[in-house]
Amino acid sequence: MTFAQQFLSATALLALSVSPALAEKVFLRANDLSMGGAESLDPLSPNRFYEVNDLIYSRLVRQDASGQPSPELATSWTPNADATEWVLTLQPGVTFHDGSAFDAADVAYSLGRIEDPALESPVAAVLGFIDRVEVVDPLTVKIVLEAPHAGLPLLLLDYRVRMIPEGAGPTIEDAPIGTGPFKVDSFDAEGSTRLVANEAYWEGRPKLDAIQFTAIPDSEARSQAMLAGQLDASSLTRDQVALYDGNPGFTVQSYPSGGWFGIVFRTDTAPFDNPKVRKALRIAVNREEMMTLMVGAGNGVVGCDTPVRFDDPFRANLDCPQDIEGAKALLAEAGYPDGIDIVLSTSDLEPGMVRFAEVYQAQVAPAGIRVTLKLEPADGYWDDVWMQAPALVTSWGERPADQILNEAWRTGSSWNESYYANAIYDQTLDQARSTLDLEAARALYVKAQEILFQESGTFIPYQENGLQVLSARVRGIDPVGEDYIRWHLVDLVE
Amino acid sequence: MLRLILGRLAAAWITMLVIAVVVFVGVEVMPGDACTAHLGRDAVREDVLASCRDRMGLDEPAVTRFLAWGGGVLQGDLGQSMKRERPIVDIVLPRLRNTLILAGAAALAGVPLAILLGFLCGLWRERGFDIGASTLALIAMTMPEFVVAALLILIFSIWLGWSTGVVTAAYNAPALTLLFATPLPAITLALVYIAHILRMVRSSVIETMGADFVLMARMKGVPERRIVLRHLLPNAILPSISLIGLTLAWLLSGVVIVESVFNYPGIGRQAVNAVGDRDLPLVQAIALLFGLFYVLTTLVSDLVAMALNPRLRTQRG
Repeated sequence: MTFAQQFLSATALLALSVSPALAEKVFLRANDLSMGGAESLDPLSPNRFYEVNDLIYSRLVRQDASGQPSPELATSWTPNADATEWVLTLQPGVTFHDGSAFDAADVAYSLGRIEDPALESPVAAVLGFIDRVEVVDPLTVKIVLEAPHAGLPLLLLDYRVRMIPEGAGPTIEDAPIGTGPFKVDSFDAEGSTRLVANEAYWEGRPKLDAIQFTAIPDSEARSQAMLAGQLDASSLTRDQVALYDGNPGFTVQSYPSGGWFGIVFRTDTAPFDNPKVRKALRIAVNREEMMTLMVGAGNGVVGCDTPVRFDDPFRANLDCPQDIEGAKALLAEAGYPDGIDIVLSTSDLEPGMVRFAEVYQAQVAPAGIRVTLKLEPADGYWDDVWMQAPALVTSWGERPADQILNEAWRTGSSWNESYYANAIYDQTLDQARSTLDLEAARALYVKAQEILFQESGTFIPYQENGLQVLSARVRGIDPVGEDYIRWHLVDLVE
Repeated sequence: MLRLILGRLAAAWITMLVIAVVVFVGVEVMPGDACTAHLGRDAVREDVLASCRDRMGLDEPAVTRFLAWGGGVLQGDLGQSMKRERPIVDIVLPRLRNTLILAGAAALAGVPLAILLGFLCGLWRERGFDIGASTLALIAMTMPEFVVAALLILIFSIWLGWSTGVVTAAYNAPALTLLFATPLPAITLALVYIAHILRMVRSSVIETMGADFVLMARMKGVPERRIVLRHLLPNAILPSISLIGLTLAWLLSGVVIVESVFNYPGIGRQAVNAVGDRDLPLVQAIALLFGLFYVLTTLVSDLVAMALNPRLRTQRG
């Protein structure tokens, strides 16, 4: 071998050893410590470590691009005639991280845990109507409900309803075993957590080798870490977007989230006990303008007092332009010809909550609605103000249509913040739950939302988008929420 | 002398007691209580709220709770964290260690440097070195820590790439790992206190230079080097010692910001998180610890000053 040959082969070796194909692909993420370090790997825990659980456990069904249930561990779901029993067929050949096979007994166990009182799981409020789960054969389960529910598959999309091995409940926090694309290598919520690729993942080995979570609770620090190249993805506040403007090293994504601020007028308290007053207070607003002022055009979706996400098949798409004259007329009919004075409570509990009230105040002034803002302390807001004050600013996260419509407006529900009571509304929801035909169910859910728009005490002008930033080397993440990301297809390039 | 020290110790005890009362009453007068703060919207569920209040003993009268809490603190039991469901001592001690590592590194590098610079500035008053250093010190003093921190990250980790931006080491990482994770938080802290101490030492040197005993030494023909080292240095620095102590204690407020910006896993960042999580027992414990740190630093610097300066040992009316 000549010197030139030796030199060439040596450089070739060198090149090979630094080639990106051989480097380990580790995706870097932040844990914002939203559970304060009590993050739990039990998917049903009130302190669930959602971002990690999403990677290590699978659901029975998952959202397709339009938010509809599509197969994950269940390949099909069929109700009986009155929607009180559902038969689910399971994906064959799926194994847990410990090599054991996933089957119907695991499903029965995982769903059965939801109502375990010792867990105090918030999921019990969502799926507590499951009476029992029967194992038909290793790949078939029958879910028996206490009352008809045509929307069961939608509720099984809940991000916390994940499959664990039969009997693993007591140990799942310390020895997490799932069927997801990644498995836990090391776990420390307040330090760093490392997940490695599940070589045997049933949809194919993930393209990434590992995902590393570092605890960074402060949003400014997360931003600095992102800018300094220490993270591949991070959530963003609206003010931070400008930091990445025009920087080719990053991609900022805005995606629909379904979260909303609203104003609650207590329907059991004067003057809001008059539906005409309530409607006047809601139609006097230019919602498009309000959304643009609050979050910027294109960063949300305007709606007519519906809590349902814009791409949900059960959403009512109504038209509600600003109607100053209509509002004045309604107020006059209700006995307030000279306008009305109201006191609106708000707090800087969440960024934007005070501004939301201020924008509302300015918008309704031309209709003779004189709003006095009452700034309440953030401490104790949910205890002393929420469900107490006659009018206040509220905030909700995304929930499926059936869940939120029942949770916040059904007569006597514990989070019925406006003390709304309407038997027809309740009946409509009951009917919708037992209606299997999708179109007929949609008509009923739309009717429920129309009732809310006509007479509820809750003003919901728009739903806000979520924001995230990705480093330029990330591939395979569309502008969608965490639930929709297919992590085994996510990749890093150099 | 002994009476003086005992007096100081007693004063420290009384100060701590007052701090404990203020912290406790502060939490008490806030709207709601530890359970409603912790539960948020779930507090409307009466049974959940009742079981939480029962678990935390919130049904007892305030005085009883204060005595129980104070008694626990005396025995090293800071209570139980609400959010984290663990003894507060286990949460707070590793973070306190980390903060001491950070503050210690900043102090060890910063204090001698600050004294030296301040001394030189005073010695060469109104000359180029003094004007330059004093101006920089003024700028460092007036810039808030979070601005300094963001600037340092921008320059040294984003533009130049010399250092990592934020700390990604865990709270229980070995001391050396934390120390060498990034120099930026220690530099941020040091910059502010170097500036403060520099200015104090400088004015103290200038004042001492005009004192009679320096004039006397000069007239006796003592060599300049000897005047500076034997007469000027000790007399100029002594009055600064208790001020240096105060500055260090005062810096704890800076630690909160610096640790958050750099994601440094210390007690300051924990304080911010505890407030964010509305984990009142933890907030209460950390506030008390900050108070303790303040009192201890002041006490130690007073005692050191007394030991070094005979004039402070006599009791004058």
